[in-house]
Amino acid sequence: MIYTKKSPALLIMGLVVLLWGWLNQSGNLDGVQGWLHTSAYADHVKAQDKYSAEMRAAAEKAAAEGKPAAQLTAPKSKFNDLKAEQANYSFIFGGIATLLGLGVLAWRPREGHLDYYLSIFPGIAYLIFIAFVVRWGLDPLFAGWGKAAEPTLGWDFAKIFNLNYVVLGILIGILIVNVFRIPDWAANGVRTARFFLKTGVILLGTLYSAAELAQLGALSVVMIGVFVLGSVWLVLIMGKRMRAENSMTAVLSAGMGVCGVSATVAASPVVNAKAAEIAYTIGTILVWGVACMFIFPTIGHLLGMGPVQFGAWAGTGILNSAQVAGAALAFDPHGIETLKVAEIFNITRVLFLPLIVLWLAAWYVKHEVGAQRVNLGQVLIAKFPVFVLGFILMFLLSTLGVFSPAGHYQGKYFSADQVKQDKLLGDRDLKALEVEMARLRGPEGTQALADHFIAKAVNIGQRHATAADALQGLQDLIANRKMTSRDQDGVLAATAKLPGLEAGAKGAIEKASKAAWHSSKTIAAFREWLAWLFAVGLIGLGMQITVKALKQAGGKPLIIGGVVGTLKAVGSLIVVLLFVREFI
Amino acid sequence: MPLKPVSCTQDPLPPASFTPARLLLCHHGTPGAAAAAALALRIAQPGYTDLIHCLVVPDLWGGMQGDDWLNNASTRDAFGDYVEKLLEGDARRELAVVEGEARARGIAWRPLLRYGDPAREVLAVAAAERPDLVVMGPPRRKGESGLRSRLDLEQLVRGLSCPLLIAPRP
Repeated sequence: MIYTKKSPALLIMGLVVLLWGWLNQSGNLDGVQGWLHTSAYADHVKAQDKYSAEMRAAAEKAAAEGKPAAQLTAPKSKFNDLKAEQANYSFIFGGIATLLGLGVLAWRPREGHLDYYLSIFPGIAYLIFIAFVVRWGLDPLFAGWGKAAEPTLGWDFAKIFNLNYVVLGILIGILIVNVFRIPDWAANGVRTARFFLKTGVILLGTLYSAAELAQLGALSVVMIGVFVLGSVWLVLIMGKRMRAENSMTAVLSAGMGVCGVSATVAASPVVNAKAAEIAYTIGTILVWGVACMFIFPTIGHLLGMGPVQFGAWAGTGILNSAQVAGAALAFDPHGIETLKVAEIFNITRVLFLPLIVLWLAAWYVKHEVGAQRVNLGQVLIAKFPVFVLGFILMFLLSTLGVFSPAGHYQGKYFSADQVKQDKLLGDRDLKALEVEMARLRGPEGTQALADHFIAKAVNIGQRHATAADALQGLQDLIANRKMTSRDQDGVLAATAKLPGLEAGAKGAIEKASKAAWHSSKTIAAFREWLAWLFAVGLIGLGMQITVKALKQAGGKPLIIGGVVGTLKAVGSLIVVLLFVREFI
Repeated sequence: MPLKPVSCTQDPLPPASFTPARLLLCHHGTPGAAAAAALALRIAQPGYTDLIHCLVVPDLWGGMQGDDWLNNASTRDAFGDYVEKLLEGDARRELAVVEGEARARGIAWRPLLRYGDPAREVLAVAAAERPDLVVMGPPRRKGESGLRSRLDLEQLVRGLSCPLLIAPRP
């Protein structure tokens, strides 16, 4: 069989992206980019005007004094940075896609491995192309529409529904597979979406400190342990009460308890699930997963949850593992912090999977007359998630300092003199902080701050932080123009979430925190790649969600799944809000 | 308010005004399929009618690995093989039931196992086999149990160039 499909699609995509890169580099797209990125463009124009005025003044002064004109450094512009980034990515992707596209057209494929492996590139390029459209076009477009509609609606619909590049990418994937169908030339490559996600998780291993991993790992083992075992047990009980078939009960308990579709796929052959049972279970889990991906981030924002709390909740409460990653990125699309927490929970789930499959296999053999025994050792080896070893390897390399300076994760930039002058807070930041501090020292401000810290339960040392710690932290920040400790950073990060805090003060705290957490260039590049890997992977996974599969949700699995899924989501939310502290 | 089914006649058999030489029985595992099979066997004339039994495994199974991404390729392959065997086993069992009945009545019977969208596959088979009559079961009522793999009746009727007979609800 020949897998490579002769199509000019890859070449066309390559040329279109190359053109986009060139138009960005030459400035011909400034009007479009300015429309898409209104705020960055406004800042850019303001800075350019100021720079031009300074240049003119300097030139006039130099001319009057008969001296050569002074050289002024052009101001940094977020707008220029984003254009340059788009141009760079476009040239890399467009160049490769154009060459491969020409190759596909010129080459006469013959049966064999080469044909098979080459056939995946058009599909991969298709996913990346969609990711570009979504991240560079639709994401800022929806953000702009949300803001534009805010005065009329009274709320920003794009923000409330988390219509960022992650959610939009998954939705576009679902739309393509169900309405337009995946083109034949892209079908093989689209299936590699899983590879992108697994690579993303492996790369994520570089972003944890040993302390973080130990604490998140312990938290996830406890949460997943309680809720996985609890859900599996509850489904087994409910299945028996509702007189469901043993095989249906077993496969449903794996899906509801561990990691959704993945667990159903792993457990079905072991418990001899029937075709209809598999269809009902997977349909039910997919419906739940897609719904949760939209509901969870909105609730998380409404409850003011932070990355640790939300990551822990999504990682425990969402049935399906793909939607855990989707929800984490939907909640926090421009940072990796929530994803970092959620993925630890995903990894813990998948490590639980072989054990749960073994448990269910044993349960099935005990309850079903004539059931065949399974080879436990074989199940354990076959179901072990190999990519987790890659994650651990990257974590070890990172901890040994291969990718980042030694001490990087311990907050080197809090105490050393490594914060560059231009990263220190400016006069305007200090003024904003001073005004807010004066307000917070008043009786109303102190009370609001105290209530906020009781609700947030931020841990410093062996106690919870208080309003006094927040005021001290602000005072130190004003004095030093930078964060000086992890505790201060944690306390002030919570302070920045205080409702009603003035935007300038909030921005100053965030700026100082960012300067303290300054990453090595390698780690910063990893973070950027990660965002792309997950974006591309999730678009591809969206293309695996068919309405035909969703429509199978029904029967006893829907009833049992509805009860257990709701209990799991609500129960884990309560536990997270009561016991999980915001900052680890 | 849902419409009540109306019984047209006491005898579900149509008047035997013609006997098809090639009869296409469509069957993709729905409960109404048994009624269609029974009707087709009554219409078919031993020694004259070729009964072509088309069983379509609906393509909803193509999306049954959903968005699983955590499993190893070997686990996904094992699942794919398992589901394939299950579906093939189910299909062969259904075919065997009709085959037994047809053989017992001396009717020439030929199976066609297809995978895809039911309406599209039936149209493709009809185009290739050129039957004189197509017989199929009634669409399921809303809320009835079973997989949701509804055949698009309108698409089928628009595309068929031979009479279509729908068996009454059993």
